[in-house]
Amino acid sequence: MRVLVVEDEKKTASFIRKALQNEGFAVDVCHNGNDALAAVEATPFDAIVLDIMLPGRDGLSVLRHLREGKNATPVLLLSARGEVDERVEGLNAGADDYLGKPFVLVELVARVRALGRRSAGESKSTLLRVADLTLDTVTRQARRGGKNFELTAREYRLLEFLMRSAGRICGRMAILEKVWDYDFDPGSNLVDVYIMRLREKIDAGFEPKLFHTVRGMGYLMKDTP
Amino acid sequence: MTIRRRLTIWYAVVLAASLLLISWATYQEFAEQSERGREREAEGSALGEAAEIIFRVGLPAVILGIGGGWWLTRRALKPIAELTRAAKGIDERTLDRALPRSGNGDELDELAGVLNAMQARLKEGFSQIREFTLHASHELKTPLTVMHGELETSLRDNDLLPAERDRIISQLDELHRLSKIVDGLTLLTRADSGEVKLKMAPLRLDELVRDLHGDTVILAEPAGIKVELSVCEEATVMGDAHRLRQLLLNLADNAVKYNQAGGSISMSLRRAGDAAQFDLANTGPGIGPDILPRVFDRFFRGDPAHGSSVEGCGLGLSIAQWIAAAHGGTIHIESTPSRLTTVTLRLPFRRPDGS
Repeated sequence: MRVLVVEDEKKTASFIRKALQNEGFAVDVCHNGNDALAAVEATPFDAIVLDIMLPGRDGLSVLRHLREGKNATPVLLLSARGEVDERVEGLNAGADDYLGKPFVLVELVARVRALGRRSAGESKSTLLRVADLTLDTVTRQARRGGKNFELTAREYRLLEFLMRSAGRICGRMAILEKVWDYDFDPGSNLVDVYIMRLREKIDAGFEPKLFHTVRGMGYLMKDTP
Repeated sequence: MTIRRRLTIWYAVVLAASLLLISWATYQEFAEQSERGREREAEGSALGEAAEIIFRVGLPAVILGIGGGWWLTRRALKPIAELTRAAKGIDERTLDRALPRSGNGDELDELAGVLNAMQARLKEGFSQIREFTLHASHELKTPLTVMHGELETSLRDNDLLPAERDRIISQLDELHRLSKIVDGLTLLTRADSGEVKLKMAPLRLDELVRDLHGDTVILAEPAGIKVELSVCEEATVMGDAHRLRQLLLNLADNAVKYNQAGGSISMSLRRAGDAAQFDLANTGPGIGPDILPRVFDRFFRGDPAHGSSVEGCGLGLSIAQWIAAAHGGTIHIESTPSRLTTVTLRLPFRRPDGS
């Protein structure tokens, strides 16, 4: 997967590049809007990380130009303003996702990966599996070792989200967005408490433990410690 | 005493004094006349005649004078009353509303002009502070992003010692808190200058409250706090769903954080006249009467000793109050320390100005 990062702040561009390269992506970096348009003309990318505040032509203008030219490359917008109106404006202009600064790097990586999957056409399996835990997304039934779990609607959504991203760290912001539809951080430990509940229900009395906390970053489900 | 009443009294005193003077002069005149006419006419009382004239002419003159004085001062002071009324309606949000000027160039017109100029300078000052805060919070975000990104990158290093890892994680936590503060500051500053647009739509408040109840039960469980939703009447308001959920969760979160182990929380949603009323009561240490009026102030922390044990950005209630006000509603807190603290949120069914 090849990703273009358009970010004028050199240090930010550098650690985004490192993080994406760590994931095994090929990464190109541009520091302004015109270079970005030239780069997109020359090379097909699987995803673009685009900062809104750029010198000269800004990110939204780059995005509009791309979409007017029928270029459908998935775009993740970055912005230091982090305002709801701006997010709406960005999505209307044809962005696929939006992330406010400062962001958690694993969130950015997870979102870029999701964009890549989106462009590849994601398969929506109805039976999710992590180790011996299964979740049927049609009957909404979670089972592990012959035991059925009663889940509230919220717990179900959280479990489905974590299982769909099994093996990868899910940031708190991404969880709040997908499970609670919050586009702001409510400053509460809601996510932590819900994960704790799922852990008590699903991990208690079973091995291996499936829920893992990655301090300072988020949560992940995997079957190896 | 109002200027108008004082002026009228002075006017009446002056009038009475001049009347006395006239009376005295009239009496002298009549006394002289009767002295001269004593031979021709029968004995007549100069005093009585003078009194009669004073009574017949002077009294109506005094009444007319006092009434006229009242009317005159009222007329003269009307611009001041108008100025007062207009100035009362001005706060930091309506600073662009200029005071009315008569344009006749008198002292009061000049005063209104001077007040308007002062108001313009105040407005300038306010907007400079807002702009400064907004720029400052934007500028802070770039270094915050860089620090967060670089710390996270260094966490990927597998050779890190556990102590170093802990230190980095603790720094990440603080950075997260700093980002929350910056976000809250940006939001409130933009709200102050009226830049935040709410997406208003008809909204079932009772559904939001049921949702909130579910989340609060789970938030409160680790501390053994019981949560009950006693009444939840159907209520539809015009509102921004995101903001109202933010507001409700903030209140519920506080009710859990500032509670005691084994305590309780009780919520209710009722229709009360032309508004939906949401009450949230919690046990816990409560808020002393001396700090209660200040809990909505930005960055206000009650007792520093208590404040440090509860994390937060110090802007939650300020944001909650802004959201309520932006919906034409109110938030009110009552607290009996170490017993019960009740937050009451009222949201009108229809927004008063329709905007």
